[in-house]
Amino acid sequence: MLLAWIKPRQTAALYLLGVSLLLPAQCLAQSSELESLKATVKGMEQQLQKALSRIEQLEKEKAVDSAKLGQVEKSVQAVQSAPSILNPAIGLVLDGTVEKLGQAGGNFNFRAAELGLSASVDPYARMYGFFTGSNNGVDVEEAAAITTSLPWNLTAKGGRFFADFGRFPKYHIHELPFVNEPLSIDRMVGGESQADGAEINYLFPTPFFLRATFGGYNKIGADNEQVDNLKPRSGSRFTYLGRLHTYFDLTDNHGIDLGTSLAYTPSVRLPGDASGGDRILTGVDLTYRYQPLASTLYQGFTWGSEFYTNSQRFPFDIEVPNPDDPSILETQSVGKRRRSYGGYSYVELKLNRSWSTGFLFDYAPIVDNPSQRTLSYSPYLTWYLSEFNRLRFQYSYLSNNFSADKAEKGNQFFVQWTTVIGAHTHGFVTR
Amino acid sequence: MRILSRNNNWRVFFFVLALAWLQTGMAFAQQIRAVATWPALADITRQVGKELVNVESLATGVEDAHGVPIRPSFVPRLNRADVLVLIGLDDEQTWLPALLEVANNSKILPGRAGYIDCSLGISVLETPIRVDRAEGDVHPKGNPHYLLDPVRAKIVARNIATGLTRNFPQHQQSFEKNLKAYIAELDSWIGRWEKLATPLRGVKFVDYHPEWIYLADRFGMKVVGSVELRPGIEPSPNHLVELVQQIKQEKARLLIYGAQNPRIPQQIANETRIKLVRLYSGGGSQPETDTYIKWIDYTVRTLVQSVS
Repeated sequence: MLLAWIKPRQTAALYLLGVSLLLPAQCLAQSSELESLKATVKGMEQQLQKALSRIEQLEKEKAVDSAKLGQVEKSVQAVQSAPSILNPAIGLVLDGTVEKLGQAGGNFNFRAAELGLSASVDPYARMYGFFTGSNNGVDVEEAAAITTSLPWNLTAKGGRFFADFGRFPKYHIHELPFVNEPLSIDRMVGGESQADGAEINYLFPTPFFLRATFGGYNKIGADNEQVDNLKPRSGSRFTYLGRLHTYFDLTDNHGIDLGTSLAYTPSVRLPGDASGGDRILTGVDLTYRYQPLASTLYQGFTWGSEFYTNSQRFPFDIEVPNPDDPSILETQSVGKRRRSYGGYSYVELKLNRSWSTGFLFDYAPIVDNPSQRTLSYSPYLTWYLSEFNRLRFQYSYLSNNFSADKAEKGNQFFVQWTTVIGAHTHGFVTR
Repeated sequence: MRILSRNNNWRVFFFVLALAWLQTGMAFAQQIRAVATWPALADITRQVGKELVNVESLATGVEDAHGVPIRPSFVPRLNRADVLVLIGLDDEQTWLPALLEVANNSKILPGRAGYIDCSLGISVLETPIRVDRAEGDVHPKGNPHYLLDPVRAKIVARNIATGLTRNFPQHQQSFEKNLKAYIAELDSWIGRWEKLATPLRGVKFVDYHPEWIYLADRFGMKVVGSVELRPGIEPSPNHLVELVQQIKQEKARLLIYGAQNPRIPQQIANETRIKLVRLYSGGGSQPETDTYIKWIDYTVRTLVQSVS
């Protein structure tokens, strides 16, 4: 009976004991399964989230793309209907000064409004032109065609352009780092090296930059009055040019440009010198640049110098006794070779993105009387309001060893304002 | 009188043929000469062309895109180049056209086969509605700094492969194979960067020049202002006052600048306690950014560290 009573109790106890022993294991198994399920769900959730954010991103991109596509379609339609689609790039430069020139007084000087056009002609050539309106009227400063596909590293250029003589002679004046063209260029080259003619450039296949130019022109110099640009002439009356230009990187931040130029005119005959003779104009230009690559917009230093020599015959008057009556002196014009030497040197320091300052020294002889010369000293300060808007302040002191015009001596003050609209570049030469 | 017999004619013919074959063989043996405007592009070109291509970069990567000097030493490289790889969208407008003008290489002029413009097919951001210089130094075709988006870089790699194939179809298979491998590598990195850049989501920042928009767009950052008054125009004092207020109001956390002068960012940081981050948008400026992937990785890591 007891056994019968105990048995169910024992059985129950054993059952309870078994359950209590087995339950944690079962719980544990269930819990790990749950954890694994949780992890799977979490993983799926993360994947879903990722997929959703990717879809969102793609939708965003698609929306942007469709919007862009719409814009592009519109602009293509607009372009297709525009009659000006093949028009060249156009730019206009306005260059003016307020100046006080020694004792001559002050003036608002509208120096130039330069209209520039450029475009490809066809697969073989491009063309550009600069038309300048100034106080002297309207002038075609440059209009030239340049080949783009000649073999053997050659480029040919023809028309009216600034001949490849020296460095600054082929700059348009508003591109110079100072207000005025150095007097040495004005007197020895004849102003900007404008020339009607043709040029061939050859780029040497060397690992460093070496370029040669050969040219033939009516004359060189926009203000060169010695030669008539319009009159046909024999081969000996043309001006022939040769130039070599090289460049070396000293380091990533330092570089040197070196050039040498020769302009040779076999025969120049000036009124009063019947026999005439050749004209040899030579130039050497050296430019050192410090351009720290990490801050080219903020820092920089340039030292540039050019040295010119000119050798040619000039007429001058001498007094000779009259052969019939030696007591009477007669004025006679004879030609004599004159050699003159001149040039300029300048330094420029970039102070920050907007400001730079510099100093120009210029030594300019009178070519037909080299003992007479002008020395000029010009500190200047340039403020770049933007890449296309510039103000420049310059003081110049001109010292002559001859009696010069009132406007060409003593103290001079300039404020120059140069602005550009549209596309404007004079390319590699004015780098 | 016949100078050459029929046999001699054949000998001459085969001699010329052999010479031509030798020359062709030599040409095959030579590497393709590629010039890229920026180091990151040079690296992608290298990845697509591998041993078939010898790539040089003109810029070093530390330059401001608007201040790359027009160095004549670039001219011989451009003169010898078979292909020119560039960003396009007028990114190189201030310096490349002047160099191409004297490089005497018609193969790489705009529109020619060797001119590989990597912007083709890129979905461009910030295309100006009004192209006027009153808006600053605007890029009429849109913001050209798309290389900072690694997803768009896949299109760049594709463009380079297409450009190389256009010029050297005999190597098409190699280019395609390299491209696939590179895109797969980029994809795996993009996944890692997206994970890594999670803390950047929603981060507001100020840039000096608008060159970080693509990166911001990819990783969910938000530009709230620029130090420059307009692109390429230095800030006026009034603009800086407004910017400082804006930084405070918007709670901008980072000011990102690169090739610009640190003076103004430092002034702003002094007033607002915004964190300054100097990063270059050209790649290759430091040893740890000498490949495209390393550059983006460095950029993302630096930004994440800055907000952590």
